This record gives sequence, structure tokens and C-alpha cells, in this order.
Amino acid sequence: MAYSTRLEGIIVSLVSFVQIERSNIKAIEDSLNLIHYKFQKKIKKVVIKPNMCYYWDYSTGQTTDPKFVAATIKILREKISPEVDISIVESDASAMKCQHAFKFLGYEKIAEQYHVNLVNLSELEAEPVKVKVGNQNFDFMLPKIIKNADLRINIPKMKYLALSKISCAQKNIYGCNPFPKKFKYHSRLSETIVALNKVMRFNLCILDGIIVLGSQALKLGLVMASQDPVAMDTAAAMIMGVNPKSVEYIVLAEKEGLGNTSFTAKGMDLTYFKDRFPTRNLTDKTITLGYRIVHKSGLDKRLML
Amino acid sequence: MKKINLGLIGLGYVGKFHLRTCLKLESANLIAVADISKKALKLAKKMGVKQTFTDYHQLLEQPAIDGVIISLPTHLHAPCAISAAEEEKHIFLEKPLARNPDEGKNILSAARKNNVKLMVGYHSRFGSSYQDLKKKMESGVLGDIQTAHAVNIAAGPFFHRGIGIPQPVPEWWFKKELTGGGALMDLGSHMINLTRWYFGEVDNVKAYLGYRFNFNFEDHAICIIDFKSRTTAIINVGWFSQKAKVGIELFGTVAHASAYRPSSSRVITAIQLILGRTPKFFVPYRKEVSHFVHCIKEDTQPSCSGEDALKDLEAITRAYKNQIRLD
Repeated sequence: MAYSTRLEGIIVSLVSFVQIERSNIKAIEDSLNLIHYKFQKKIKKVVIKPNMCYYWDYSTGQTTDPKFVAATIKILREKISPEVDISIVESDASAMKCQHAFKFLGYEKIAEQYHVNLVNLSELEAEPVKVKVGNQNFDFMLPKIIKNADLRINIPKMKYLALSKISCAQKNIYGCNPFPKKFKYHSRLSETIVALNKVMRFNLCILDGIIVLGSQALKLGLVMASQDPVAMDTAAAMIMGVNPKSVEYIVLAEKEGLGNTSFTAKGMDLTYFKDRFPTRNLTDKTITLGYRIVHKSGLDKRLML
Repeated sequence: MKKINLGLIGLGYVGKFHLRTCLKLESANLIAVADISKKALKLAKKMGVKQTFTDYHQLLEQPAIDGVIISLPTHLHAPCAISAAEEEKHIFLEKPLARNPDEGKNILSAARKNNVKLMVGYHSRFGSSYQDLKKKMESGVLGDIQTAHAVNIAAGPFFHRGIGIPQPVPEWWFKKELTGGGALMDLGSHMINLTRWYFGEVDNVKAYLGYRFNFNFEDHAICIIDFKSRTTAIINVGWFSQKAKVGIELFGTVAHASAYRPSSSRVITAIQLILGRTPKFFVPYRKEVSHFVHCIKEDTQPSCSGEDALKDLEAITRAYKNQIRLD
């Protein structure tokens, strides 16, 4: 079980919680140390998947802060080797093109400064894969760069999402699907998220919680690390005041063997962050519910909204 | 009374606003639309438009059409408006007039030569709060307006349009050669037009341009305009914010006053559309097109005219020339 750690003979999923104090690098290193994560020297190729969402800037809490990715790159160069081949990956979406997003969000500058590749998964060689989740079959294209990577790092954000309740580690991998018109999968979103996580197999999740997006954006200064995306999503849901058992894709992912909803917390107390997280009020929840109804009824398309 | 027959060219984001409002006009019939998207044309047909074209030249050839509303990307304003003038159609052209003053002058020249009306779509002039503020200022209750602060901060063209299926940002928005400029051209043109409407001719212009999003066009700008009337206005525009704020504050020797565009919630807009009502957001769009139709019927000059819009474009060009880059 790659996502877990053996502690005193028992296999458990670890999730670390660290408050950023001195620097992003220090917080990331601490979070990795807490889950006993060690980078292997033999690693040659790394892919990093940050969260990008339309062209929203990192300061909105919607997207990964490029400075956080830069800090991760520095750690990789130091712990693995200065020559390790690193690619930041993303795919085109219905309303976002990587070509623009990389420039817009500051990744072109990161690539130039740290000599990493910016990769649009929608334009790369990929191979067809079939995957089954529950009784549903999916056909995806698996980008070779992801398949051939020695280490796949997921750097998600923590935010509410109307259709799936929350977005965190597993939802970020939805963006690795090279097929741009991702709304096609909205009607079976939970199954698609789980299916893509089964196919892409990311090894390590490091959450950028410098700014989180709850009812509003907030500088929470949280870093979480885990090798188990299900455990990370469970912890994120708890911090966000959402019952993890009510998040379809978390429950489904556990059933499919992608990880555990039970985990051992390391570092700071989860409740420290939960108490500070800007949870939604009744109005926000009502608007979300209204949105779901409008979306499910197809009214949004009819009204050209 | 004879109704004016209109054609609509371009069914993009703003074009769809015009589609809705034109279909509700009592004094005009929207008889044809043109767009390269067959999906958009299908929608227009479904909403009751009889003739649809994928080539706007075919629309312009329809003898029954009196006037056209052009809502195309900025680089297509000049060729389309000139063709419309040559077909002797009155023209309502979305802002800005063109990418640069030279193109603008060509449009004006074609309109004059063919004796057609040319109106440019600066809808703020038709917002009741801005109209009330102008009346207040002109009544003298504010004294002399020494300074003004006009704001238009929003997410610009790069926000996710649509609640359901996310709509892609049209590619032309990323190309300065097609837009003629960035936030100053897009949002600044609205506020320059509004302040010119309030304070008259521009004397001097200076601009600070910012590039937060790393493109070769500005995504925010602060423009300082000295008017011949001795008012100084700060135009503060940007594409960087998820929350929109659009309005103007006037600081007079007697009192201060302001006007802001009412905020529109997507949820309330959706409810109003379901109920068949005109959401607040659409009202200035409806009023400006009604004004255009009225000008055709009564043979009067529109506000804002092509000449007026050309002055906005010249002020923007001067601002670009006198720019200080914010890095």
C-alpha cells in the first residue's frame, strides 16, 4: 500500500498538519518529515500537478500559489538531485487553456527561474486506458509523462465545490485528464474523480493551504502532506466542516482501495485549523443547493447563464 | 407606426445581451442575426429570430434591414462597420469604436459618406444612477467639481462565463493586436467616455499601467485626466478582481456625490429571467438600443456618437503614449 506508512508493524495512513511560520520550504519539509517521507535518490523524472482553475490568481484561494510550487522544486533539487527532471503538468479545460494559464498565473517565470518544464497534457502523447469504478466503465487517455514519471506530486488547494461538496487532493487529479471538455463528466463527477485517481496514481500530496477558500478566501497558512489522497481529502473535509462520509468521491475512493478515511494525524491539531476555516453560512449553503438544482434541471443552459 | 428593422451581428457575450433586449423592443423588430457559430444562430432562431447568417455580409445585403447592431471583437469593428455603412445601414457599434484612431476615422468617414447614423455602445450613459448624478452636477448643488474618481474593477474577459457549461475565453482577448489594448481600452474606455460626458474635452492624459498577469497588455491602469473644464479625474480600472465595482465619485467645492452600477447577483438574474422580467443589469443595454432606434425614427443624432467615441479613443492613445509602467 504505497499511500501508507508502516508504524510499529501496523499500516496506517498519515496526514501531517503544519502551520507556515518561517518559510514555505521549512513548512513543506516539516510536513514531509512528519509523515516520514523520504525522497529516493534514484528518482529521475518528477511531475508536479498544481491546482489551476480558469485563470484565477493564487490570491483568490482558487489556485496553487506558484511560490509554493517553487519551494517544492527547491526541496526536490536538494533531496533528490540538482539534475532531476521536473515537469509542472496541467491540461486544457473547457474555459482554460494551459498556454495562457501558465503565463497568467506566473508559471512561465517559475519555469525559467528553476529550469523546469511546463507541460500541457492535452498536447502530449498519451495511451488509451480502461478503468472501472463500481459498475461504471471509463476510457481515458493516460499521458505518457505521467505514466513514466518516477514520482508524481499532487499540490492541491482546499475549497468548497458545489458539485462535489469539496475539492482537494483527488479532485485536483481530475485536471490530469487530457480531454479538455471536462464538463462532459459532470453528471458522474464522483466516479470520474475516483477513476482518474486510479489511472494516474499520484504518490505524494502536499496541500497548499497558504490561502484557503471557504465562504471567503483566508490566509490560513496550512501545509498538509500525505501519501494517501483519501486520507488527505478526509482531513480537508473535516477542517472545512463537511462530513467526509457525505462526500461521495471520498467514500467511493475508499471502496476502490485508493486510501483510507481513517488516518493518523501528525503535527498540529486539526481542530486548530478547523476553528479558523471560514465555513459556509446558511446563505452560502442555500445558494449552493440552488445551483445544484439549476444545474441538474439544465435551466442554466436554457437561460444562457 | 412603422417599426425599425434591426439586424444583429455577433452573438458573443455582449451580443447575447443585445439579442435578449432587441427581442423585447416595442419600436423595432430584430429580423436577422449573423454569427460564425451555428450553435449561437440556432439559439437565436429558437428565440424567434427569422433569418440567420454565418456571413455578416449576407445580413447586410438584406434590403429590409434599417440598422445593425455590431457586437464583434474589436479588430472586426472597422471592416464590419464600413461594410454596413456602404450598404446604407444605420450602425450601433459596441465599444470601443476601433483598435486605434485611424481605424475609427475610417469608420466615421464611411458613415458620413453614406449618410448613416453611427452610435457607439457606452451603456453607462443610459444607467439611471449616472444620469441622475449628471443632473445633480449640472444643477450646481455640488459646486465646481474639482476632482473625480471613476472605478471599473472586475474580472474582465478572463472570468468563467456561465453557471453551467464553462465558456472559454475567446482567443482574441489574448492578442493585443486584435484588441488594441488591455484593461484601459476595455474598461477604461467606459470611464473615459463617462467622464468626458460629465466634464467635456480632455486637456492632458497620463497613465500608469500594470502587468500582474504577465501579458504584453495592461491588466490594470490608473489614468489621470485633466479636463479643459479644470476638473481632474482619476480613472482606476482593472481586470484583476473577482468582485466588480463600477462607479464614479465627484468631489465638488460644495458637496460630494457618487453613482455606482447596481451589483447583479447571478441567482437573482436567473430568477428574473425565469419570470420573464428584465434583470437590472440589462436595463442600460435595452435603453441604449431603444435610443438608437429612436434616433433612426426621428432622424436625430445619437448619444454617444461616432465622433464622441473617437475622442475617447484619442484620449486612450495619448494615455498609452504617456504611460509609466508599473512593475
